[in-house]
Amino acid sequence: MSASPVLEVKGLSIKFGDFTAVDNVSFSVNRGEIFGFLGANGAGKTTTIRMLCGLLVPTSGSAQVGGLGFEDGGLGIKKIVGYMSQKFTLYNDLTVGENLEFASGLRKLEPAYAEERRKELFSLIGFSRPLSTMVVSLPGGVKQELALAAAMLHDPEIIFLDEPTSGVAPASRARFWSLIRKITALGKTVIVTTHYMDEAEQCGRIALMRTGRLIALGSPEELKKSAFPGPMAELDFKGAEAAGFISGLEKASGLLELSPHGMRWHAAFEDRAAMDAALSGLPQGVCAALIKPSLEDVFIRLVEGTER
Amino acid sequence: MNRTLQAFIRKELVQTLRDVRMRALLFGAPIIQMTIFGLALSTEIKNIKLAAFSQAGDAMFERVTEGFYASGWFARVVYTPGADPFELIASGRADAVLIAPAGGLRRSAERGGGKMQLLVDASNATKARAVEAYAKNIISAAAVREYGARGEPALKFDVRVLYNPAMESSMFLVPGVMGMLVCLITIILTAMSLTREREMGTFETIVSAPLSNTEVLLGKTVPYILLGLVDAALVVTAGYLIFGVPVRGPLWQLALASLVFVVNTVSIGTFISTVSKNQQQAMLGGFMFLFPAILMSGVMYPVENMPKAVIAVAYLDPLMYFVRLLRNIMLKGGDTQVFWTNLGALALMAVFAAGFAYKRFRQTLN
Repeated sequence: MSASPVLEVKGLSIKFGDFTAVDNVSFSVNRGEIFGFLGANGAGKTTTIRMLCGLLVPTSGSAQVGGLGFEDGGLGIKKIVGYMSQKFTLYNDLTVGENLEFASGLRKLEPAYAEERRKELFSLIGFSRPLSTMVVSLPGGVKQELALAAAMLHDPEIIFLDEPTSGVAPASRARFWSLIRKITALGKTVIVTTHYMDEAEQCGRIALMRTGRLIALGSPEELKKSAFPGPMAELDFKGAEAAGFISGLEKASGLLELSPHGMRWHAAFEDRAAMDAALSGLPQGVCAALIKPSLEDVFIRLVEGTER
Repeated sequence: MNRTLQAFIRKELVQTLRDVRMRALLFGAPIIQMTIFGLALSTEIKNIKLAAFSQAGDAMFERVTEGFYASGWFARVVYTPGADPFELIASGRADAVLIAPAGGLRRSAERGGGKMQLLVDASNATKARAVEAYAKNIISAAAVREYGARGEPALKFDVRVLYNPAMESSMFLVPGVMGMLVCLITIILTAMSLTREREMGTFETIVSAPLSNTEVLLGKTVPYILLGLVDAALVVTAGYLIFGVPVRGPLWQLALASLVFVVNTVSIGTFISTVSKNQQQAMLGGFMFLFPAILMSGVMYPVENMPKAVIAVAYLDPLMYFVRLLRNIMLKGGDTQVFWTNLGALALMAVFAAGFAYKRFRQTLN
């Protein structure tokens, strides 16, 4: 994988009136990378992506998308990127063929070229239904794969996917992600936003966003290490009374993070010694297991923790 | 033609024509409405309540009135002696009153007058028009009976139209209805189609393509301009086939007027879509424009009868100019001066409407 950046963002900001939707964001993405945006609703993920697709012109800062900036209002960028927004991108009341025809018309593709691309993409996504199928009759997962194909008809270098799997069945989500890996294997760059932690784990690098700011950036492993330098224990009270012990634990020195996960609690500490000291008075019957922190823990610590 | 525009036209036509409700709105509604309006106006008027006023012993006038009642169109109104003819009409007991000249009809005719007075209630313009036409025939027939084939000296009558001096001809309604239908369909279709794209989110895909604002706007409006023109042609044909409403003027005038008008309405539809969050709002917005536009257009009520303030607003109503143009072209053969004056006004409005819609549209993109 070559390390040449296809996307370089420096101090990117956008304001809508007094509201700063994206605040001084900088990062770069390499060719062939799967780059994920993670963050709550309203964190600025979609706005960042819309800028990088040439749909919004930033208020300040610069971005080079495939070597192109915003000098022409984003028109050049639009030509070389593919964008799949989080809402409907296909028309339910048109057939598969009509949808693709319209998509290629929007990009002024030569009919012969569009037809060739359609065949390539159909074999990539494994689509074999007739072109005359109405889109409304397709299952959600297939619809999203087809939408991806429509966004890639013009053979873009960089593909932006805004929550491509929201509302899609788990099996179809896995299929869609294997498709994303196939695309990056072809040398394309994929930038994706998601709400699902298991999907974020599959990204090469993740940018964590909160209220318009980029608060952490790195591979899933790097993020876990930097958020939790020490060990993490999972406490299972097995139905026993937990409140008393937890309120004591909250005051323990060296505790980094304590959060409920269903019936269990995750407790992270600065180091091993702090953990041993804090958990020494564990009541009878409570299990403590050393676990690897998940991205969800990272998310809670970095995104939600700072809001407390 | 631009490949993108072609793609838009194909897509919008397929989407519109595939939808049963849209098909009904486009092709069913115009013909049904046209038929209903047309039938409502072309029905023969019968049982017109007529009262006759004369001095005792006016034999000739009696014979004339008998002619009225014998025609089958008029029914006799019996009133108490000394009644006021105006009161009879105001109360609705009579639709028309025929009044003999003072001193008797024969004396008046032989002195060279022979003038009766006909009061007509024109609050229903169609009925009033019929009364006038029937009266003319019956009275000239009476003159022939009294004085021989040449009908000299003539019997005349003086019509006083009450309540509605600018009596509109019934034929005038069909071009009006046509203008109204084209207006309604193009505004609603354009506003709904643009709002639907925004509401569903498909608009995001369109604007993510490397297209200029103009291309996007043309792509979303040209298909509806075309559909509007098809509808205009459909309504003219239906008017001709069903009611025999002619197109006496040149077809190019009709086509040009329709095109300029549809540019207006599609621009208005575009504007409505920029202030609507969803399709229901777009529909409501469409009707908020349509009701006053139709009422002030002169389709149903003559503009000249409206209060001055309303007339001033009516001059901003594109439908008013279009209805004038249609009546001029279809019924009067397309008087050149009337054509160019009204088309000029309509074109000026189209430029402003399109410019304004474009500006609003661009603002909502960013």
